[in-house]
Amino acid sequence: MTFPRLALAAASLALLTAHAAAEPTKYPLTLENCGETITFDKAPATTVTVGQAATEALYALGLGDKVTGTSVWFTDVLPEHKSINDKVERLADNDPSFESVVARKPGLVAVQFIWHVGPEGIVATREQFHEVGIPTYVMPADCVAKDNSVGSDGTRIATFSTETIHQGVRELAEIFDVQEKGEEVVADLVKREADAVERAKALDLKDVSAVFWFSSADMNIDPYVAGQKGGPAYMLNKLGVRNIVESDEEWPVVGWETIAKANPTIIIIARMDRRRFPADDYEKKLEFLKTDPVASQMEAVKNNRIVVMDAHAMDATMRTVSGIEVLADALVDLGIAK
Amino acid sequence: MTIAAAGQHSMARLWWRWPAGVVVLAATVFAGTCIGETAIPLSVVVQTLANKVVGATYPLDPIDMGIVWNYRLPRALVAASCGAGLALSGLVLQSLLRNALADPYLLGISAGASTGAVTVTIAGIGGGAVSMSLGAFAGALTAFLLVALLAKAAGGGVSARGTGQIILAGIAGSQLFNALTSFIITKSANAEQARGIMFWLLGNLSGVRWPDVTLAVPVAAIGLVAGVWYARALDAFAFGAESAASLGVPVRTVQTVLIGLTALVTAVMVSIVGSIGFVGLVIPHAARFVVGVRHGRLVPATALTGAAFLMAADVLSRTMIPGQVLPIGVITALVGAPAFALILLRGRRRP
Repeated sequence: MTFPRLALAAASLALLTAHAAAEPTKYPLTLENCGETITFDKAPATTVTVGQAATEALYALGLGDKVTGTSVWFTDVLPEHKSINDKVERLADNDPSFESVVARKPGLVAVQFIWHVGPEGIVATREQFHEVGIPTYVMPADCVAKDNSVGSDGTRIATFSTETIHQGVRELAEIFDVQEKGEEVVADLVKREADAVERAKALDLKDVSAVFWFSSADMNIDPYVAGQKGGPAYMLNKLGVRNIVESDEEWPVVGWETIAKANPTIIIIARMDRRRFPADDYEKKLEFLKTDPVASQMEAVKNNRIVVMDAHAMDATMRTVSGIEVLADALVDLGIAK
Repeated sequence: MTIAAAGQHSMARLWWRWPAGVVVLAATVFAGTCIGETAIPLSVVVQTLANKVVGATYPLDPIDMGIVWNYRLPRALVAASCGAGLALSGLVLQSLLRNALADPYLLGISAGASTGAVTVTIAGIGGGAVSMSLGAFAGALTAFLLVALLAKAAGGGVSARGTGQIILAGIAGSQLFNALTSFIITKSANAEQARGIMFWLLGNLSGVRWPDVTLAVPVAAIGLVAGVWYARALDAFAFGAESAASLGVPVRTVQTVLIGLTALVTAVMVSIVGSIGFVGLVIPHAARFVVGVRHGRLVPATALTGAAFLMAADVLSRTMIPGQVLPIGVITALVGAPAFALILLRGRRRP
C-alpha cells in the first residue's frame, strides 16, 4: 500500500466517522459568513440563488425542491441536475433585479460571488436583503482568504483550496438541516480529488509546466490567464505542475511574448457558452495557437498537448474537482511522464 | 519680403533636423524591437533582422525570432504609424478650425468607436463573428457621418461662425455616443467584461500583427502626403477663410477633403489600437514650438514627433512595471502632460 493510498484510507475513515456523527441542526443556528453574522430560527422553507455554483450546491444536497428561483448562469446545468432544474424558474440568465428576488419571498438568498451582494452589490447589498428579513449566504470560496475590496474581481490573499468548497456545502447542509447528505457530498468530493491526485502522482512528473488560457478581449490581444492563487493554480499545485504565470491576481492579463518565452509543457484552454469575445470559443483559441507565428512554435502546440476544460471548473466551485480530474486524465493520456 | 526671408533663414539654419529626425525614427523603431516584456539579447534581435531582411541564415530559436519579427517589429511600426496619423489629424483640425484645442477625436470618432466596440463585445451584436476592431471602425464612421450631417445642417463651414458650428456638432455627437457606450456597459456588462473594455478604451497595442502594419502604414502615409500637398492651403487658413479664398485657395473643397481624410485616418488608427489620447492634441503644439507655424515644415515635423513619441510611450508601457503591460493611453498622458507643460513654459519666455 503506497503512502497516498494509506492517506486516502485514513481520510475516508475520518470522513466515515464524521458521517456517522452528523447530527440534526440545533436552531437557532448562528453562522459567521463572509464578514456577517447570520441567524436561522428554523430551516428556510425556500431559497433563491444568485450564481450557478450556489444553485448546483443546493441541487447536490437534494434541496432542489426548495429552490424557487435561480440566476447568473454561466453554462448548462450539470446533467445529473437537469430534471430538477427544469422545474425551477430562472429569474435571469445574468444578474437578477433586487425586486425579482424579493418577490419570491425566499427564506434565504444563496450567492456565489460577493460582488453581486457586496458593498457595491449589483443585485443589492446584503443589508438591503436583511432589512426586508431575508438572510443571505455567500459561498465561502469567494471570501475566505480573499480581499474583495481590491481589484475588480477581488484579490486572493492566500491560495484557494477546495476546503472552502467543502465548507460551503457543509454550512448549507447545516442551514437546511441535511447534515448527513452534506457529509456524503463532501466525502465524494474528497475521494474524487484524492483519486485524481494519486493518478498524477503515479506519473512521477518532473518539471512539467502549464498555462490556463481563459479568454482574450480581442483575438490577438494579450490573453486572460490564470494567476497563482485561484482554482487553476490549486489544480496545478495538487498535481505537481508549475504555473508559468507568477501574478497573484485571479485572472491577470499576460502577453503572448511572456507565455511563449516560458514555453509551457501543456496549455489548458477554457470552453464556455459565453460568446462576448471571439476568443470565448475554444475552437478559435485552438486556431490561434496553431496559426499564430509565435504561439505555434511553443512545445505544447507543436506536440499537441492542449487540454480543453470547462470554464466553470476553473472558477472556485464544486466543479473544480472535475477540473482536477480532467487535468489528471490529460496528464496520463498525453504521456508526458518521463 | 521679410517674413519669407526669415523663413528661409531658419530653414537653412535647421536643415540638419531632417536627417536627425529620420535617425531618431529608425532608432526608436529599433529600440521598440529590442525592448519588450522578456529579455532577448541584442545579438538575437540583430540576427533575426538579418535573417528576415537580407536573407541571412543564423540558427535561432524560432520563438525568439518570432517574438522579434512577428510581435515587436509590427508593434513598433504600428505605434509609429498611429502616432504620426493621430498627430497629423490633430494638426490639420487645429489649423482648419483655427482652434488650439481641436484633436482627432473632436468629431465624435473616439466616442463612436467605443460605442461600436461595446456593441460588438458587450451587447453581443454579431455573435462573436464581428471583431471588436471592425465594430469600432463602423462606430467611428457612423458617429463622424452623423456629426458631419449635423454640422452641415447647422451651417458649419469655413467662416469663423461655421467652424464654431462644426466643433459644437462634434461635441453633441461625442456626448451622444459616450452616453450610448455607458448605457450599453451599465445595461449588460459584468466586472470582468468592463475590465476588458477599459483596457481597449485606453489603447492597446498587444494584438498588433503584420496585417495591421499593411493597413496602418499606408494610411499614415496618405495622411502625410495630403498634409504636405495642402501645406500652403493650411498656411493660408491661419489668416482666416476669407484671406485664404483671396489667395486662391478653394476653401470649401480643402476643408471637406481634409476633414474627411482626418476622420478616415483616425478611424483606422482607433480601430487597430483603441483610443490613445493626448498624442493628437499635444504633439502638433510641441512641433509648432520647435519648427514654427509654417506647414511645409510643421507637417513632417508633427508626423515624426508623433511617431517617435508613441513608440517611446509603448516601450515605456511595457517596461515601467516589470511583468505587467500598462495601457498606452496612461503613459501618453502621464509622460506627455508634464512634457507639454515644460514646452508651454519655455514658449512663454520666447519673444
